[in-house]
Amino acid sequence: MIAERIGLVLLAVSATVVIAWAYLLFGNRLISRLPRRLNRRVMPWLFVAPAVFVIGCLLVFPAISTVVLSLFNKDGSSFVGMQNYTDMLSNEITQGALRNTVLWVIALPSLAALLGLLVAVLAERVRYGTLVKATLFLPIAISPVAAGVIWTFMYDYQPPITEQTGTMNALVTLVPDTEPIAWLISQATNNWALIAAMLWTQAGFAMVIFSAALGSVPVELHEAARLDGASEWHVFRRITLPLLIPTVVVVMTAMTVIALKTFDIVYVMTNGNYGTDVIATVMYKELFTARDNGTAGAVATLLMLAVLPVIFVNIRQFRLENKEA
Amino acid sequence: MKIPNSTVALIALSLMLTACSSTTTTAPDEGEDAAPSAVAAAEKAALAAAGGEELGGTVSMLGVLGGAELDDFEDVIAPFERATGVKVQYEGSRDFGAVLQTRIDGGNPPDVVATPGLGQIADLADEGEVIDLRGVIGDDALTTNFSDSLIETGSRDGKVFGIFNTVDVGGLIWYDPKFYDGPTEPASWDELQTWAQSNVEEGETPWCLGLESGAASGWPAADFIDTILLRQAGPEFHEQWWRGEVPWTAPEVKEAFETYGELAQPDKVYGGTTTVLSTNFAEAAGPMFKDPPGCYLHQQATFMGGIITDTNPKLVPGEDLDFFAAPDFNTEFAGIQSISGEVVSMFVQNEQSEALVKYLATAEAASLVAATGRWLSPNKNSEPDAYENIFLQRASETLQKSSGTYTLGNSLMPQELVEAFWKGSLEYVQDPSQLDTILATLDKTRQETY
Repeated sequence: MIAERIGLVLLAVSATVVIAWAYLLFGNRLISRLPRRLNRRVMPWLFVAPAVFVIGCLLVFPAISTVVLSLFNKDGSSFVGMQNYTDMLSNEITQGALRNTVLWVIALPSLAALLGLLVAVLAERVRYGTLVKATLFLPIAISPVAAGVIWTFMYDYQPPITEQTGTMNALVTLVPDTEPIAWLISQATNNWALIAAMLWTQAGFAMVIFSAALGSVPVELHEAARLDGASEWHVFRRITLPLLIPTVVVVMTAMTVIALKTFDIVYVMTNGNYGTDVIATVMYKELFTARDNGTAGAVATLLMLAVLPVIFVNIRQFRLENKEA
Repeated sequence: MKIPNSTVALIALSLMLTACSSTTTTAPDEGEDAAPSAVAAAEKAALAAAGGEELGGTVSMLGVLGGAELDDFEDVIAPFERATGVKVQYEGSRDFGAVLQTRIDGGNPPDVVATPGLGQIADLADEGEVIDLRGVIGDDALTTNFSDSLIETGSRDGKVFGIFNTVDVGGLIWYDPKFYDGPTEPASWDELQTWAQSNVEEGETPWCLGLESGAASGWPAADFIDTILLRQAGPEFHEQWWRGEVPWTAPEVKEAFETYGELAQPDKVYGGTTTVLSTNFAEAAGPMFKDPPGCYLHQQATFMGGIITDTNPKLVPGEDLDFFAAPDFNTEFAGIQSISGEVVSMFVQNEQSEALVKYLATAEAASLVAATGRWLSPNKNSEPDAYENIFLQRASETLQKSSGTYTLGNSLMPQELVEAFWKGSLEYVQDPSQLDTILATLDKTRQETY
């Protein structure tokens, strides 16, 4: 059984290598027969074509078919135009999910950037900084589902008469005369509790990027400013922060995309109950529970439209940085 | 990145912690394995189901079981694997519905499935995805082993899409005989409520209740509301209800919710409403076994006996834990019981999957199901003395004494409505004053799904 599988893997790997080699070899020979000027133009396409093909199959085609599906009814048998979109936007559940997603998109990137920047800047100034950074970085290796389970335990609620087994409520009830909080059920706290769980897994990522960017800020600038009598706050505010702005944009866009496509944490911890639905959980329910390809397609299209501008900003930033470099 | 040493130290530390925690023991197998003769009989039946030859190969099976429950089901499968050489690859998922749908859409369905959600399988049968088991098992074997009502429940348009593999009796009320001083054979629901009220007046809490269950939160409430509706409004109305022929805003449905609401009042449940919503169903009965108990009664189906004894292995069934069937809600429909259970269905027909389904439909395999001490057997011919577990003996008696058994409506409805029902039940327990709005929303879902 295992020997068979190893054999298959080796076969697949060698087949891939041989096919890629043959593709480049014969492609190159074919193109080199072309006139010299045409040759120059066609050559890049030889290298790009496989990637374009794969992305076309795995990204572009599904995206287009999703948009097409969103214009049809439940099982795709008749054309309904924009009806899925109007139904979706007038639906209370989707409206609530949209409101929550907006909260996620505002809160997660700003909190992650703030926390990441704070830790990155402060950790540079203390001897045990690496330990602090490592602690914040570790949760990034935990899958969102596992993080959801862990935080469900952290937020656990026991009636006031008994001992609190959840870490958060154990802390809260240390203050005399306070009642434990049903973090995931009370509508005042539940969305924030979910965002905090996600923040725990993502803040380390922001921190690492800021740390790396801080390393690239020239020391001479800091020294010059200090010699001129600038306070530490002024050095940060006038020198470090302006130089970090491109990094802030990168972190914020990455976190915005993560916030928009949030699914696992919500699904595991509340499944959208008590007003915690986000766009992705609504899409999942439309697709797998209601088996409504049309509405699920409409929700997916909406999500895609929301992500596009963020991706656009990210690409522009990437190009700007490449030009500078 | 410059975080090597401290990172390594932290990883090592966390690994050590995991290593420590993993040494905690899991609940031991109760050792209620079937008698050797029953296992031998099952092996013989398995060989016959495979046409008398060792088939070999594998059969993939998708289900919802895990942990100790799966261990018990594997005891039922083991003789089949030994006798036929067919390896059953069981994949258990809490996300059964979505996994099954994805695999069917992807052209890679499991050979066989076992699920309590008959509604989803019935829908798939309408789409022609499920194989008619009448041809596989044969008319004779089907009618000798299963009651007409169970065959009918697993059928659509004369085609059998699923046969019952396990049965649970719903609407049972569990208690600790050492502490509970109320009626154990109440004549009516009201009699039980009177006791609950006096218990509250003594400054205590009658009911243990927990509705959290991950993505399926709310189902314990939905199950009992379903049972109440069946026994209060009668089987005829109940069937119209799950078939989507009557609105959820009907007075009968509202009354069933309100009857459940009497139980789920904040002062009658352990810890109040917030505790109910945040307590996992499997842990809900916990406070019953504290000294003094935090609550006295817990409503749940037969399988709860297994869950409670898994987590509290020291409890002696019958002495520390017992149950009675919920009293009649309406004298007009006295003695009715609700059941639920897992059905086995086939999506890919080949020699191995045929043999497995045929085997599971035999009385010999059913006797092993009974011998697990966890589930009742749906099979008419399973050995009557196969129930070693006192709870199952009593549950089986309860079923025999009943004037009629009916399957829970929420296992037969479309999945979208079932999940809306779970959610609606949670919302009702959280804020009973919203009942009319909740029922109106549920009725909107009904109109969209049928």
